[in-house]
Amino acid sequence: MSFAVNGEEVELYISPNRTLLEVLREELELTGTKESCGEGVCGSCTVLCDGVPLRSCLTLALEMEGREITTVEGLGEQGRPDPIQQSFIDHGAVQCGFCTPGMLMSVKGLLKRNPTPNEEEIRRGISGNICRCTGYAKIVEAVTAVTTGSGRNATGS
Amino acid sequence: MEKGFSLIGKRVPRVDSLSRVTGEVQFAADLKLPRMLVGKIKRSSLAHARILHIDTSRAERLKGVKAVVTGQDTGGVKWGVFRYTQDMDFLPRDRVRYFGEEIAAVAAVDEETALEALDLIDVDLEELPAVYDPIEAMASEGPWIHEDYPNNVNVHVNIDVGDIEKGFKESSLIREDTFTAAEDDYFMGEPYAVVARFDDDGNLEIWMPNAGPHMKSKPLSNALQMPLHKVKVRKIAIGGAFGGRSEISPADYICALLSRKSGRPVKIVYTREENAVNVRMGHALITTIKTGVDREGKVLARDITCYMDGGAYSSTGPIATSVPFLCMEQAYRMENVRYNGYRIFTNKPIRGMIRMHGRSFACGIDLQLDMMGEELGIDPVTMRLRNARQAGEYTPTGSYVSSCGLTECIEKAALKSGWKEKYGNLPPWRGIGIGINSVQTGFPLGIRGGSQAIIKFNEDGGVTLISGVVDNGQGNDNMLVQVVAEELGLSMAEVMLITADTEVTPNDPGSYSMVTTFAGGNAARLAAVDARNKLFDIAAKALEANPRDLMLKDKKISVAGSPDRFIPLKKAVRMGLIQGMPVSGEGHYAPKVDHTREWVKNPKGQLSEAFSFGATIAEVEVNPETGMVKALEVTAAQDCGFALNPMLVEGQFEGSVAMGGQGGMLTEHHFWDGGRCLNPTQLEYKVPLACDMPRINNIIVESLDPAGPYGAKEAGMSIAMSAAQAYAAAISNAIGVTLTDFPMTPEKILKAIEEKNQGGR
Amino acid sequence: MIIPEFEYVAPGNLQEALDCLASHGVEAVLLAGGTDLLVRMKQRLVKPRLVVSLKNLEGLRDIKEENGEIVIGAMTPLVEVLESERVGKHLPALRQAMGKIGAPSIQHFRGTIGGNLCLNTRCLFYNQSQFWRSGRTPCHKDNGQTCYAEENSDRCRSANLSDGACALMALSCEVVLASCRGERVLLVEEFFTGKGESPFAIEPDELVLEIRVPMPGEGAGSSFQKISYRSAIDFALVSAAVSVRVMDGQFEEVRISVGGAGAAPLLLKEAAATLYGKPFNDDEAIEATSDLAKKHASAFMVENLGSCLEYRQKMIRILVRRALKEAIVVATG
Repeated sequence: MSFAVNGEEVELYISPNRTLLEVLREELELTGTKESCGEGVCGSCTVLCDGVPLRSCLTLALEMEGREITTVEGLGEQGRPDPIQQSFIDHGAVQCGFCTPGMLMSVKGLLKRNPTPNEEEIRRGISGNICRCTGYAKIVEAVTAVTTGSGRNATGS
Repeated sequence: MEKGFSLIGKRVPRVDSLSRVTGEVQFAADLKLPRMLVGKIKRSSLAHARILHIDTSRAERLKGVKAVVTGQDTGGVKWGVFRYTQDMDFLPRDRVRYFGEEIAAVAAVDEETALEALDLIDVDLEELPAVYDPIEAMASEGPWIHEDYPNNVNVHVNIDVGDIEKGFKESSLIREDTFTAAEDDYFMGEPYAVVARFDDDGNLEIWMPNAGPHMKSKPLSNALQMPLHKVKVRKIAIGGAFGGRSEISPADYICALLSRKSGRPVKIVYTREENAVNVRMGHALITTIKTGVDREGKVLARDITCYMDGGAYSSTGPIATSVPFLCMEQAYRMENVRYNGYRIFTNKPIRGMIRMHGRSFACGIDLQLDMMGEELGIDPVTMRLRNARQAGEYTPTGSYVSSCGLTECIEKAALKSGWKEKYGNLPPWRGIGIGINSVQTGFPLGIRGGSQAIIKFNEDGGVTLISGVVDNGQGNDNMLVQVVAEELGLSMAEVMLITADTEVTPNDPGSYSMVTTFAGGNAARLAAVDARNKLFDIAAKALEANPRDLMLKDKKISVAGSPDRFIPLKKAVRMGLIQGMPVSGEGHYAPKVDHTREWVKNPKGQLSEAFSFGATIAEVEVNPETGMVKALEVTAAQDCGFALNPMLVEGQFEGSVAMGGQGGMLTEHHFWDGGRCLNPTQLEYKVPLACDMPRINNIIVESLDPAGPYGAKEAGMSIAMSAAQAYAAAISNAIGVTLTDFPMTPEKILKAIEEKNQGGR
Repeated sequence: MIIPEFEYVAPGNLQEALDCLASHGVEAVLLAGGTDLLVRMKQRLVKPRLVVSLKNLEGLRDIKEENGEIVIGAMTPLVEVLESERVGKHLPALRQAMGKIGAPSIQHFRGTIGGNLCLNTRCLFYNQSQFWRSGRTPCHKDNGQTCYAEENSDRCRSANLSDGACALMALSCEVVLASCRGERVLLVEEFFTGKGESPFAIEPDELVLEIRVPMPGEGAGSSFQKISYRSAIDFALVSAAVSVRVMDGQFEEVRISVGGAGAAPLLLKEAAATLYGKPFNDDEAIEATSDLAKKHASAFMVENLGSCLEYRQKMIRILVRRALKEAIVVATG
């Protein structure tokens, strides 16, 4: 199969029973995307497929023929995180970090469709991503800050 | 504390967040080693059975299988947290005691082969009668789950202080209520995973999520019969612990065995179901509380009996049986109190320590105070103020409380939440409630109670801190960096960290007794101070000044008040090198606890050097048709001594409200089909989602503990308990009925409303 | 958990897909979004030899109006149904149902209306890992002979939990099946067999092509109601959908369906009939109908979802009443 991952063309010989998540993590060694439930509930495996969020644990790799996949590794550049990544850092929206890659991809997907979501829309937009550490409060703050340019940042201003 | 800190007390982003937002940081399941094999575990599909025979020959012959292990490979070693609770084989030889218990394991070249191999292992089991209910288990006539524990009573903690008969006699109001709660569970983001590798010299390297690597290395060294220096528990990013990853897990041992037998690295990754059922979960509890109060609502006597469903093995039994009570004896004055806690074996998965310690226990104490207050015409906040712990007091079991801001927490939470205006005045089906928590900052851990830190300098003035502290995601690594950077006048980016690697780092008690900042932070601070003193000795000579007049800021050692008399830090380091006296720092801290205190045999004496305290208030709305609860607003006020980083402390508050309150009191519980857990996955065990969370107000109260670093003490897990209590109280307030079975699911709430309408209850 | 091996084919168009099913239908499963199928494969509840991917069947991804019907292709993603103006205007129950499925941010792009219609029935004792189900005799749905939800039941007691199916049952639609033998049109109530073991009247060589929902005329309204523990992700404890036609202030047509009660969304004809001719604002009648709906649906229910059965039964009355009231609001403008 051939598809694009983070802007790079990839050609692989893949057995049909492999999920996109497995291929990303094992063949392509992009371990940022995580498996936390394996049943499409927790959102830790979320990637973008043609710009739209997708649960890679419930997607056969072969279904991605010809598609463009973006993983967390594809956000920002070396030394220059994507504004949403930086906002997560600045607002304390990251604790253990296990849900973070999936959360970021869902947020990217949300902001692509709706660049100025209100709090309810943000919460609904991340309702498919389970976080056990943060209670979601600072994640919502981080997203709000990036969309409105306001919101409290790390220095409290 | 206006000491002009640059970093301490400030909302600085964590130094380890970047690697998490980029996905670079590695968790155990992300590791890939050359020639690594896939490990899989075969589990018992009976809840209680005698092992007659295990035949692994067909599995061993399968192409691609490199090792198969069973109880025969273990040397009969048994594990137990305490010497007197060593009841668990990592791989059993004669009996399995719960559905899902490990029976055998394979390591193969890929997952498919490993799974096929499991199917080829023939296990002959003779089913034994199983018991699933703790009360039934106690009444059982045998065979008992463990021969050494008649009537399946695993632990009995008995605490008896004062004169409860006298107290009850003097009480104007006495109530006895029984509260029950099903199991709760961690559901941390990261499913358990282990990677193990032996080298040709027989040294073991192992990576797994843990709440204290030194707490894992010793049992492993015992079990594998290897000296400690050959067991290297490595640093790895950890996706949450919440009390559930402190003990060694059979997976750790099995993975090491497979690696040793195959001569190759092995990785075992648990499914979500295995993570829920085959590591640990919380206890189910039945708590009967009898309390007597005087006319002012002051508690005069309390008698508590608690039965805890412990599952099939002891685990941290003595601790788990004690902590729910101890948290409450810290939070509230109880001069006359008796506690009998029983942990009972059942043929169910093993229970351990969990953040929401004993929700039926804690919620029961608080709900009962509300009920008695109602009868006396005293509101819940006043009931709490009347009984709240104060600094300078002793707990019933003899711990001195050096710092306590509980009253301040209660008052501030009440003010912020609008308690006075709201209580009793809310529209129908809205309620407001309060919960109180207190948690230990460490407990007696014998020779492993202390933390040590070492600082080394590079010749350009950069610094590396070496500490045994472990970070489960709460920000412990960042805390160390913040402390050292502050004390040495550096930026956080200039402090490198080596932590949680038992080959390199000195001892540390781990994070699960909430003592990391207190012990680990203090040790790091002292190491930095030690290094700084040595630097000052060198600089003093160079500057012809008194070392006591020097200060260190922005990488310069200067004379206080004369900023142009300075030498760069880098220079002082180099001077030390050239003088043959290289600068390093050493610090250690062991909390001053009573080492003779023992959970069961001697539950008296100083339990922790400090305790945290807090009050949480929740406002909810209940739909009377459906029983569904909408949480509107939660106010959490917690005395954490001092907030080294308010942004991180708030993160703990918010996470606690989600886990303990929103999840713990509304939706989280396990239910069973005999010994099978019916909801071991994220779909059916329901942790809170972003769209359901209420607004959270955080109030940090700082009582400045005399021993904590900068006054800091426990700040991480406490609010999970008081949030559960606050939700419970708010719901009871909203519907006018106190529910005594938790969590308060819509069906229970609706039933209570209906019964009340029918004039029942 | 790795998925067991299978053969995979991705037909380039509808005819290729039908040819494939004609030859291999018995040992094949159809892959649309995969959000149900892949979970079941990981649990080894289904072990197909062949997986036929529908990803290239762009022709099945369409919402249009034709012959007085709204026709929705089976491969239309949930998000497109949700955001369709036509659906929002004429079929509010369907739009509401779409909005309640799973995780809105993620699932809606991948899940399809056809997939949701064909969501397999569920039971807490069945939808478990292979390991969980081992060590005892399999249940009816698992090709066995027993039932763990209801002791001694001689048949499967799993429940249909598809939000889309519940709404479509109330809206009354036609399900168009295609095979090499031609097209077959079934009424939605014929599409569901009511049998947990094999819930759909689909032949092995058939696939669902499209659904056709009649354009509601004047005075029409519909509503979908769902109750679940969390506001996203969760399947319904129970759900209810209603479609009504109000003319001259009276109920002329009423359809009530309940999800989560039986192996098919339950079409409660008797309960619905009690409203015919009654004024639309007859609250007592609405209450009585809701109560009767609860009574009839409850007869189908067993403790198969891990929640209090009694509670779910109680909620049927609440949801049916809410659906009726909301549908009336839509109908009477």
